[in-house]
Amino acid sequence: MKQRAMLATMIIAGVTALTGGHSWTQEFKPSKQIEGVVHTGPGGGSDLLARAIAEMLQKEKLISQRMQIVNKSGGGSAVAMAYLAEKKGDPHTIGFFTGVWVTNPLTSKEATVTVKDLTPIVRLILEPAVIAVKADSPYKNMNDFIEAAKKSPNQLRQSGGSVTGRDNLMRLLIQKATGAQWTYISFPSGGERLSNLLGGHVQMMVIEPQEAGEHIRAGNLRVIASLTEKRLPSLPNVPTIKEQGIDVTIIPQARGVLAPPDASKEVVQYWEGVFDRFAKSASWKQYVEQNQFEDGYLKGPPLNKFFDELTVLMRGVLKEAGAKVVR
Amino acid sequence: MDALGNLLLGFSVALTPINLFWCLTGVILGTTVGVLPGLGPAATIAMLLPLTLKMDHTTAIIALAGIFYGARYGGSTTSILLNIPGESSSVVTCLDGYQLARQGRAGAALGISAISSFIAGTIGVFGLMLVAPPLARFALRFAPPEYFALMVLGLAMVVFLAGESMVKALLAMLVGLWISTIGTDLFTAESRFTFGQMKLLGGVDFIAATVGIFALGEVLVNLESRGGAEIFKLAKGFKNLLPTFRDLKDCRFAFLNGSIVGFLVGALPGAGATVASFLSYGLEKAFSRHPQKFGTGVIEGVAAPEAANNADAGGALVPLLTLGIPGGNTTAILLGGLILWGYKPGPLLIQEHPELFWGLVASMYIGNVLLLVLNLPLVPLFAQILRLPYYVLYPLIVGISIVGVYSVNNSLFDVWVMGLFGLLGYLMRKLNFPAAALILGMVLGDALERALRQSLMMSQGELSILIARPISGTLLFLAALILCLPVLRKVRYWRVAAIEREA
Repeated sequence: MKQRAMLATMIIAGVTALTGGHSWTQEFKPSKQIEGVVHTGPGGGSDLLARAIAEMLQKEKLISQRMQIVNKSGGGSAVAMAYLAEKKGDPHTIGFFTGVWVTNPLTSKEATVTVKDLTPIVRLILEPAVIAVKADSPYKNMNDFIEAAKKSPNQLRQSGGSVTGRDNLMRLLIQKATGAQWTYISFPSGGERLSNLLGGHVQMMVIEPQEAGEHIRAGNLRVIASLTEKRLPSLPNVPTIKEQGIDVTIIPQARGVLAPPDASKEVVQYWEGVFDRFAKSASWKQYVEQNQFEDGYLKGPPLNKFFDELTVLMRGVLKEAGAKVVR
Repeated sequence: MDALGNLLLGFSVALTPINLFWCLTGVILGTTVGVLPGLGPAATIAMLLPLTLKMDHTTAIIALAGIFYGARYGGSTTSILLNIPGESSSVVTCLDGYQLARQGRAGAALGISAISSFIAGTIGVFGLMLVAPPLARFALRFAPPEYFALMVLGLAMVVFLAGESMVKALLAMLVGLWISTIGTDLFTAESRFTFGQMKLLGGVDFIAATVGIFALGEVLVNLESRGGAEIFKLAKGFKNLLPTFRDLKDCRFAFLNGSIVGFLVGALPGAGATVASFLSYGLEKAFSRHPQKFGTGVIEGVAAPEAANNADAGGALVPLLTLGIPGGNTTAILLGGLILWGYKPGPLLIQEHPELFWGLVASMYIGNVLLLVLNLPLVPLFAQILRLPYYVLYPLIVGISIVGVYSVNNSLFDVWVMGLFGLLGYLMRKLNFPAAALILGMVLGDALERALRQSLMMSQGELSILIARPISGTLLFLAALILCLPVLRKVRYWRVAAIEREA
């Protein structure tokens, strides 16, 4: 009996090898520790989210094995993506993606692995953003800011991250829609972006509502627009940018999970099942609310379509922005 | 005296048995990861964060902060004994610390490092307690031009790192600056000097480079002189392994200098402990009565940077707790922890959760005492490693270096980088180029370039923005003064020589 089982396993393994991983093995279940790959060092946004998710997955008993977060930082997301590509077909590795995973291969020649090479599993959240100014600044709404920027072009400043980040791309879209011009200054850490705004060295910043929250409550910051389709539940009095007459595409900041290339159907099904239940769990719902994220649950063909559309959108915006697009 | 009342509240929180226990656990863990090169406090805290969810929140932050400042104590151990920087902020400690070890004074160096860590750690907490909100407001006045000036002041310290030749020091520093440009340019997202290597997109890993230059370079040079089985001298007896009263007296200025510089620089979100350690080393040498002896094993050269990197830990908590702004990786994880535990870090945190802030402050006083009590008896123990014969010691150094560098990013590529920098370090020693000047360029290059370009974006290309602002103007003036020092010394030397000729 035992020998037969072994024979069967061997045949299955053989077929698996022949068909390149797409086979009809039985339902997949992790048999050892799972690696969760993130593209930032410990303390980065992706790292903190991944660690929180790993913790919640274990707390809700959705995975039977431990999940270890592995930091593969460097080159935007290039190092992490290349690492996942090396793990081709490995069912015990997943990666935590963000929008950078789409834009980075577009602008960096060395970043040869794209999201399409990997196996998307689910999109979990959309991170909303708002436009904040200092509470004592004269800009009460988006229009005030745009008018001031028009009056003295390039004199107003915005602090933000990398030039390919969402904050700069949104600036370029708004500039194009309104004809106003202001300066964008990159800072590598979120802390410096915020402290330059609080110190009055820059006049505006695109910021996540959770990060701005306490400074609004303490009377340091004022939010003049939300970069979302609908008003944010946490900031019901802040009109969206479209409500204020500026018609721009809202660039989404998505976060979710994917697997290495050539993941088998069983593995994809397993992870979809896990995250289906996870997205409905109480701890995740509380986490989403606490961080003022938007639930962005998406899987299967719609997720693939999302990546395709995002790639096209980003390529267009980056080209318009004058960035060198290599793919 | 409101602070006193609050501090009493803090001690009542921190002195409960459970909090004392976790404070002790935290600082022991911190010292351990500090001693191990590679594995740093950021990764450790990230790994332990899930465990804290079931704890009381104040207990949790007491434990995690213990790891944070405890690691600064341990960082100097391998720097002094093996010339392997345990953390990036302990690179400067190698300069005089390792020379002291070679002279048989490893115990004194390790002891001074523990004592100065204790003094600076305590001063740092004192600062955190008394001046956190006003200091945070002052730090907000630092914009790119001020950071640029601070980095220039740091670079001016090259004057104090130069050995026999200023030209060689400047050359080494320029190479360091160049190395810091390798990677992805933040402002254009284009890659620079990566030679098509994906692994270089993130730049050259700082730990890999420094461990290569210091530890491997040293081993290679020593392999050459294989004739003499030159073993480290080590004093016998427990008492002779600790610093003498005279050592302590020599270091009194270093304790103060390091503490103040470390605390102030730590409070700036865009600087960091490594910058602070270089600045305090330079300052120490500038005001020393025997500057020529630095680099050959002077005890102040260990005390100043070790004080700076410990006071920095207190400083770094200032923007975190008063504004919710993290200055580095480790504080970013602490911030993540605070959010995970249900706090809203920001300007109202101290006011609304006094038990958290004051409990942490009080626990840090206790933690620093615990660290001193823990670390001093370990000194003679650690020093015994130098009794090993060189054919055991050198392979051990190479082994620790490889494991340490690999564990930072789990990257074999970094190990190759370390090997390459080991060769560079060997050549630099052979040709008498000061390695520390190269490291200085590497540490500051990134921030310097960034701050300069940010400043010029702010001013639409006007260079005057760098000197017109009061803080940056003052810092640049200081830098210019320091750069003039060698010239002044030369002039004095000529004058003395001329007078002697006339006589």
